[in-house]
Amino acid sequence: MLTMAPNLTLLSDLTPPSLERTWLTAPHPTLPLVATCSSDKTVRVYSLTNFKLLSTITGGHKRSVRTCAWKPHVQGESVLATGSFDATVGIWRRWDSYGRVGVMVAVGMLLATCARDKSIWIWEDLDDGDNNFETVAVMQEHGGDVKCVSWHPVEECLASGGYDDTIRLWREDLDDWGQVACIKKHEGTVWALDWEGPETTPHSSEQSLQAQWREQRALSGPRLVSCSDDRTVRIWRRLPKESALPSTLSSAATGIPSIIRPTGTDETWEEDAVLPQSHALVVYSVAWSHKSGLLASVGADGRIVVYEERLVASTPDTDAMDTESESRAPLKTEWVILAVVNGAHGIYEINHVAWAKRADRGSSDGEEVLITTADDGSVKVWTLQP
Amino acid sequence: MAEMQNSNPTILNVADLPTRNRAAQKTRDSIPEIFAATPDLVDFLSSDSEDDDLLEEPIDEQEIYDLIKYISDPEHPISLGELAVVSLPDISIKPTLPDVIGSPLQTVTVLITPTITHCSLATVIGLGVRVRLEQSLPPRFRVDVRIKEGTHSTGDEVNKQLGDKERVAAALENGALMQVIAKMMETCR
Repeated sequence: MLTMAPNLTLLSDLTPPSLERTWLTAPHPTLPLVATCSSDKTVRVYSLTNFKLLSTITGGHKRSVRTCAWKPHVQGESVLATGSFDATVGIWRRWDSYGRVGVMVAVGMLLATCARDKSIWIWEDLDDGDNNFETVAVMQEHGGDVKCVSWHPVEECLASGGYDDTIRLWREDLDDWGQVACIKKHEGTVWALDWEGPETTPHSSEQSLQAQWREQRALSGPRLVSCSDDRTVRIWRRLPKESALPSTLSSAATGIPSIIRPTGTDETWEEDAVLPQSHALVVYSVAWSHKSGLLASVGADGRIVVYEERLVASTPDTDAMDTESESRAPLKTEWVILAVVNGAHGIYEINHVAWAKRADRGSSDGEEVLITTADDGSVKVWTLQP
Repeated sequence: MAEMQNSNPTILNVADLPTRNRAAQKTRDSIPEIFAATPDLVDFLSSDSEDDDLLEEPIDEQEIYDLIKYISDPEHPISLGELAVVSLPDISIKPTLPDVIGSPLQTVTVLITPTITHCSLATVIGLGVRVRLEQSLPPRFRVDVRIKEGTHSTGDEVNKQLGDKERVAAALENGALMQVIAKMMETCR
């Protein structure tokens, strides 16, 4: 499979780097810049146009900055949330002189934080000009540190993963946030989660297959990818609501009013795929491109692995016994490793990977870069050459 | 420490602990004195000293043992070597990525034997060993410190904590915990 493999080529380092461990690099939702969190208690903002440091946020945190996230869908202003080992969350704002026309949407007002104390907090940005955040919900179902949270790309749904090896999904139901699914399949800490983009399609030469696949996916919604201490990368798919219908009907048929949460909110999530085994140590981060549908994973072994999903052409079944169910059988896909870079940051562990829009000179429209963040403080930008 | 968990541990004699010095001593004794006094000419004449600087001396199990054997037990003024919490046969060094040709990454595995099976300090001891090795070894080493199987009632739990990069990193920034670790390290030479 690797014979026609594209190359993952180093485009540039982000300079100057932090001299201590960097944990994560978050691309800005619209502008060509990224924020990198470091153990030196700072956040560095770099340009993706020239790969140089634009500014350093210091003085806010007393310990390592572990994570950060940009507020989406804001215009004229950039808002960054940071989380630190000092157990605080920082909110940083910067007005851009060249405000863009943003799209006002309802989502993007909620902030989710997770912590060592097994809890997930959901906050609403009151946007009252006074930096007030209101606690919307506190969920404490996880049995250990909550290592990651990730918002669904279109729905108000949150996924979390943690030290208890589980992935949990959360939704709001009648003003109350609650767990709608718990996936117990990883055999180690779940370090990171990412959602499939709502518009990508697996690779195929047959457009009709792709169209069929999109129809199918419309029923279950975007999938979720997870990576773990158990060295695997797995993909999860929600069973289409139709499948859950019979049970909902039967409970309705009993006519007994339910005091407890209606079972209708529960979701069944199935393992869709286990990606080809390619990491020798813990997988710390995984990123699913919303543009190309490509997946990338990184970890303690210092490897970057890029995967592509391909639709498998269905082989016509000569056994006519089962034609009806066959025609309704879900389309199959396979994940193929497109590129592997060993020692991408030399001898150092890689903590994070993210896709971003390419913005330097020489980039073509719609092109993407991969950004990796490592233990020695280095942040590298890569391009996938066909 | 409120109450000792193991007030009467078995202690090994320091002189009986494995060392490289003794082996080295023997070798030197067997070499005629006249050669021993001669400086190694190769060392002085070597022209590609730049390359030599880049070449690390290989690190072996004995060296790892020497780095951690003097760490003190958090509740006794006795070293982990003397308590046989760490021992030479329970240390191994292996290539981290055997399938990657030329990869410099090596994994050091240290199995810890707590003095008693329910020792609540096992995590602190393990953290001390991990911190000591991470601070002493070049970064191409991956440090894997775990409880020797069957020697602790909650070994898996302790192992999971010791293997969690984020927890270890956060612990290093925890002043109270680092004071305990620093105290354990005081006896390191």
